[in-house]
Amino acid sequence: MKRSLPFFLIGLLAGLVLILALLFPRLKPHTFAGTVLQSPEAAPDFTLQSAQGTVSLHDFRGKVVLLYFGYTFCPDVCPTTLAELKTALDVLGRQADSVQVIMISVDPERDTPEVLQRYMEHFHPDFIGVTGELDKIKEIATLYGVYFEKAEGDSEKDYLVNHTATVMAIDPEGYLKLIFPYGTSGEAIAADVAYMLR
Amino acid sequence: MRKKLFLYGLYGLAGLLITAALAFKIFQPVQVVPRIRLSPGFILIDQNGRSLTNEDLRGKFVLYNFTYTRCPDPCAGMNATIQEIQRRLGEANLGDIEMVFVTISFDPDYDTPERLAAYAQSLNADPQQWIFATTQDKALLKTIIGAGFEAYYEPDGEGGFRFDPKFVLVDGWGVIRGEYRYQTQVPDTERILRHIRVLAEEVHNSKGAASLAYEAAHYFLCYTP
Repeated sequence: MKRSLPFFLIGLLAGLVLILALLFPRLKPHTFAGTVLQSPEAAPDFTLQSAQGTVSLHDFRGKVVLLYFGYTFCPDVCPTTLAELKTALDVLGRQADSVQVIMISVDPERDTPEVLQRYMEHFHPDFIGVTGELDKIKEIATLYGVYFEKAEGDSEKDYLVNHTATVMAIDPEGYLKLIFPYGTSGEAIAADVAYMLR
Repeated sequence: MRKKLFLYGLYGLAGLLITAALAFKIFQPVQVVPRIRLSPGFILIDQNGRSLTNEDLRGKFVLYNFTYTRCPDPCAGMNATIQEIQRRLGEANLGDIEMVFVTISFDPDYDTPERLAAYAQSLNADPQQWIFATTQDKALLKTIIGAGFEAYYEPDGEGGFRFDPKFVLVDGWGVIRGEYRYQTQVPDTERILRHIRVLAEEVHNSKGAASLAYEAAHYFLCYTP
C-alpha cells in the first residue's frame, strides 16, 4: 500500500499534464484581434458601382468580406490599411480564394469606378473598389458606424476626407462579425479570418 | 497487471476530473452584455451649434435617447431617468471611463440649436455630460435614428410625433451594448445602471490576461444580466 502512494502521485501528475496538454489548445478559444460582434441581424446590404459593373454585398455569400471605407487620394491611412489587407491575403494563401476585399469610396466626386479599379489593383488584383451617389454612400456608411466628412482643402479639387478607418469582417453567412481598428496587422487579420473560415 | 492498468485508469480519471474543474474555474462564465451591432456613424449639430460626430464619442460610454423638445410625455419621464442615472453614476464604478448622454431630436425644423440650448438649460443639463443634437438632413436623420439605432418615429400630422421612446447604450468601440424600451421591463434606471457597471467592469478587466476570459465569455455565451 505504501509503495503505491508515489505511483499514485506520479500517475496523477502524468495524467494531469497529459490531459492539459491534449485539451488546452481545444479549450483555449481563438483570441480575436478584432472586436467580436454577436450581430443578430445580417449586415446591411448595399449595391454600388465598380468598373466591372454593379457589386452587392450579397454577391459574396460564402466568402468572408473585408469591408473598408476609404478613398484613392487618401495620403497614408488607406494605403497602409490596404497593404495590410494584401498581407492578410498572402498569409492566408489558398484560403484567400474565400475572401473578398471591398473598399467603398467616401469620395465619390473624385473616385470614379475606373480610378478606383486602378488604385485597388495596385494593391491586389482581386481587390474591388466601389462607389455611387454621395447620399447612398452616406446612408451605407451610417449603418456601418462610419463617419466621413470633407476636410477643408486648398482648392475645389484638392481636399482630404476625414473618415472612420476600421476594417470590418463579414462572415460567409452575411453577418458582421469583427471590427479591426486601424493599425491591425495583416497577420492578425489573417489569423482571425482563417478562424472564421475553419 | 490488469489491476495495475485499472489503477492507472483510475488515476487518469482523477486527473481528468481535476483538470475539468480547473478549466471550469479558468473559463467560468464572466458577466458580459452582448455586442449587438454597430452604432451608426453621424455628423450632427449640437445645442452650441458645434458639430458632433460618432468619432468624437469614441472611447466613451454613451447613452442615447431620441425625442423632440415640444414632446409633452413620455419625454419628461425619459429625462427624469437620465437625471437619475447621472445622479447615481457613482454606483457604476466607472473609474476613468467617461460617460456621456446624447439626446437626438428628430424634429430639426423646430429644434434649432437655440431651442435645444434652452431645453438643455430648462433641464439643468451639464453641457459637458449631456449633449442635445440634431441635423437638418432629414433623410440621413431617419437613417441614423430609424435604421441605425432602430428607434421608430413619424410625424403625427398635428405638429407632434408618434415615436418609440428608447434608450441605447453604446460602448467606447462604437458598439451597441444595450437597448431599452422605456418602462417596459424592470425600471430603466436600474437596468441601465447595472449594464453600465458590467460594461465598466469588462473594460477594467480586459487589460492584460483577463481579456482572454472576456473574449471566451463573449464567444461561448452571451447573456444580459
